[in-house]
Amino acid sequence: MIEVKNITKSFGDLTVLKNFTVNFKEEGVTVILGPSGTGKSTLLRCINGLENIDSGDILVDGLSVNDKKNLRHIRLNCGMVFQQTVLFPHLDVMHNMTVSPIKLLKLSKKEAEERAEFYLNKVGLISKKKSRHNELSGGEQQRIAIARALMMNPKALLLDEVTSALDPEMSSEVLNILEKLAADGVCMLAVTHEMSFAKKVASRILFLDKGSLVCDEPVERFFRETRNENERISRFLNFIGE
Amino acid sequence: MQAFEKYRSLRLLDSLQFLRGIGVTLEVTLLSIAIGTFIGIILGIIRCSKNKAVSSLPLIYIEPLRNSPLVTQLFLVYYGIPMITNWMPSAFTCAVLTLSLNTGAFFAVLVNNSIKAIPQGQWEAGYALGHGKTSVFIHFIVPQAFRLLIPQAVTLYIGQLQCSSYVALISLIDLTKTGETISLRTMMPFVCWGIVFALYFIISFPLSKLAQYLEKKNEFAY
Repeated sequence: MIEVKNITKSFGDLTVLKNFTVNFKEEGVTVILGPSGTGKSTLLRCINGLENIDSGDILVDGLSVNDKKNLRHIRLNCGMVFQQTVLFPHLDVMHNMTVSPIKLLKLSKKEAEERAEFYLNKVGLISKKKSRHNELSGGEQQRIAIARALMMNPKALLLDEVTSALDPEMSSEVLNILEKLAADGVCMLAVTHEMSFAKKVASRILFLDKGSLVCDEPVERFFRETRNENERISRFLNFIGE
Repeated sequence: MQAFEKYRSLRLLDSLQFLRGIGVTLEVTLLSIAIGTFIGIILGIIRCSKNKAVSSLPLIYIEPLRNSPLVTQLFLVYYGIPMITNWMPSAFTCAVLTLSLNTGAFFAVLVNNSIKAIPQGQWEAGYALGHGKTSVFIHFIVPQAFRLLIPQAVTLYIGQLQCSSYVALISLIDLTKTGETISLRTMMPFVCWGIVFALYFIISFPLSKLAQYLEKKNEFAY
């Protein structure tokens, strides 16, 4: 579904992704690991077309992100949730959820509200549908952001460290929701440092270091064997106390 | 002597003069606010362009008007236009033209600042949902920028209402000019200017309260 072909991305003199190639199919949960500044978030942002790539190409459903005309289709198919929750502060939860499906998917207000109620039930926040973002905790806002992304029926969810700005209690609220979604078969591409989530939910692990792909393996092998075989990965996992 | 005393005293007719003065002041202010707001919105949006050449273009208009006294702009238009063209605009036209251009320059800055005050994350959240640039701007940025803009705009409008008193200098009979005329005739400057002061206050004060109310109402954190 997503083909990342030999991409390079730099910010000024800093090359964040170097000749990076990887493919993602429309199934399972892929967790992207690696130290800070290795290009994990940049990779997701490039897939979503939020960053222009310097060279190479990314195809989503065969459509290139380099062609601006494809961005709408790509973004509708790859919902993205950010590290810092970005609800629209001038809208309540229900309007945050329904404005995009009404405008972009041409759903009627009633259909959009029914769909919103379905996903709000899924994330356990149906009682907050009339709330504004400042009446919600960080964890609740993040769960709404996930539900809002799901409203567009994406083929994959791109999750960029969605729990890193939350305290442990709120993190576990969000991770529980993500586990439920994974059990429902939602395809996810998640940058995270939550190893327990990776072990429990992921089917595949990518490990990035200095803008390059160090390993791409099934989760069991990664935690059982690769961590002992690769010194860099071993050092990283030890450092984060895994 | 009695006739002269009668001529000097404040009469009922003077209240009509004051009312007419208020009418002119409000007419000049409202027209120039409407035109200036329109100019300001267009230029403020152009100022937000990522293309530096395009975004710098409105500065040619904005900076001179923001950095020169309104009185000089008024005189430049009133005395300058007949000199360089064959057109002899009325004092009213010159007043509206000058105040509109002046309001437009300040309003453009407010629009630009309000749009730029919206965090980049709001744009990206809209893009990530599949919206294009125009759609994100209309559905998510404008409503938020509007909330930031409204109280500042009301404050600017109050300022422009007060600045409209300069139009008296080009012989337009607004509230200030009316006060001056009646004051000179009656030789009661304290009473006359007191009335002018009170009338400006009666118009401005509710507007400044409105600005405070809107500021409070539109408070929201990201």
